[in-house]
Amino acid sequence: MTDAPQDKWTSKLGIILAVAGSAVGLGNFLRFPVQAVRNGGGAFMIPYLVALVLLGIPLMWIEWTVGRYGGAFGHSTAPGMFHRLWRNRYIKYFGLIGIFGPIVIFIFYTYVESWTLAYAFFSLSGKYAGAADQKAMAGFLKSYQGLDPAGPFRGLGTAYIFFLLTFAANCWIVFRGISKGIEWLCKWAMPALLVIAVALAVRVLSLGAPVNPAWTPLGGLGYMWNPDFEALKNPDVWLAAAGQIFFTLSVGIGVILTYASYLSRRDDVALSGLTAAGTNELAEVVLGGTIIIPAAFVFFGQPEMEAIAKGASFDLGFVTMPLIFTRVPAGAVFGCLWFLLLFLAGMTSSISLAQPAVAFLTDELGITKRKAAIVFVVICFVLCQPTIFFLGHGVLDELDFWGGTFCLVLFATIETILFGWFFGIDKAWSELHYGADIRIPRFYRYTIKYVTPLFLLAVLGTWLYQKGIDKILMKDIAAADRPYVLGARLMLVLLLVGLAVALKIAWNRRRDVWDRTEAEP
Amino acid sequence: MNTGGWLMMIASWTVILALNAFCFYRLLTERPAGQVTHDDAPPPPCDA
Repeated sequence: MTDAPQDKWTSKLGIILAVAGSAVGLGNFLRFPVQAVRNGGGAFMIPYLVALVLLGIPLMWIEWTVGRYGGAFGHSTAPGMFHRLWRNRYIKYFGLIGIFGPIVIFIFYTYVESWTLAYAFFSLSGKYAGAADQKAMAGFLKSYQGLDPAGPFRGLGTAYIFFLLTFAANCWIVFRGISKGIEWLCKWAMPALLVIAVALAVRVLSLGAPVNPAWTPLGGLGYMWNPDFEALKNPDVWLAAAGQIFFTLSVGIGVILTYASYLSRRDDVALSGLTAAGTNELAEVVLGGTIIIPAAFVFFGQPEMEAIAKGASFDLGFVTMPLIFTRVPAGAVFGCLWFLLLFLAGMTSSISLAQPAVAFLTDELGITKRKAAIVFVVICFVLCQPTIFFLGHGVLDELDFWGGTFCLVLFATIETILFGWFFGIDKAWSELHYGADIRIPRFYRYTIKYVTPLFLLAVLGTWLYQKGIDKILMKDIAAADRPYVLGARLMLVLLLVGLAVALKIAWNRRRDVWDRTEAEP
Repeated sequence: MNTGGWLMMIASWTVILALNAFCFYRLLTERPAGQVTHDDAPPPPCDA
């Protein structure tokens, strides 16, 4: 038995919106349209939907099922769940990735999220209205980030104030817990986010052609959707589609495991997992694909759009879009709505990232919820500082790579193999259908056992072969930045060691619970 | 936007909107009391 009663979801819709909120993030509105444009336009949707069916939805079901199964044994995080799937003395340590990854993402994501809040404020106050072109707007962003002292901001003061506000908002939700915090926020933030996105999409589609008669919103949609089927012969396009599906659904992080652990034993996971995936796709393909590219096309046309799309998708959100809002009627309001949309998308994702660590401290180490939240907040606040002060030295990119990319693929690979092979596909299939509101097509049995793990192994192997060694040896990093990147890596190692020690203590403390064989009803 | 673009956009939107319609219809339609769910068999009560 657990030492303290677990927090529970109060409704099925609540957890679905929370999981969808975790999945709907900045990437839905910034990364997806750029990926589509770069990889064959409308033709990109063929590998994208194939990857959704063969990779995204199976992974969603695996995580929901493992989470509910582990929760029945009193585990809310991956170490205990992995131990349940395979009784091996070391496997629980691999489960630590499901706590480590979310912490690492949290410590840089909240800072990026704070930029969206700041820009929402700047939109209304007209702070960036003086920036006349892409270069000036990029300079504004650099100045805000403390990277250009000659710009409108003197130092990091403004950025730090918005970071503190964003961090405090996240902490407040974390302190309130699952039902009164996360579920409450997602129940109003997700519908609000969808309404704002629809309002922005309608505004973009009604822009007309204010700059050039040939530069219309429909032309922008064409730029995004006109298919180039030749691109499908390129394996990189298929890999990019799979990567987009993988990262957009928030699988492989460990958050869904924790969320699903708060379900009751007979709660459905099959329909719920599918609904969460579907909601994310609605936000990404239907709404994400209708805002940023058509808007940029209307004001910059095809030639400049090519250059914009080749650049960082981040610049599209923080440089190109604000510039557009300075040129449309009521641009201050729509600019504010755009950044509010990104802020809500970021907020519903960042609060989810806190849950695995807080749940681990509460359930496995027996710390009260309040103390666990305080420990998490203090540690993360300290770890956030290098990202803010050494942004220009590649610290954020380094954390993003290890926490937001590598750990996700590694964790998903391990859990998929454990679920399909060590737990066993027969037990896995029964567990997935226990209490299910829908029957899952039988071909998913083979997909979960063979296709999904093989695909993930191929992605990991390809990365190690193509880029792994160079990345580990920092060959792509300027010599002046290497001490900062090394420092970031040291910070990550210390965090991982700290978590391993905490896990060892938890294991010794609750050995009886970890070895209990009967699930709770 | 050319014909291919329209086709790809409408097809993609249709797939995703249909998926959402199916999911939310099933989700918001309460399972009648006593109705059997799609269990193949009882779940493994233990992992031993």
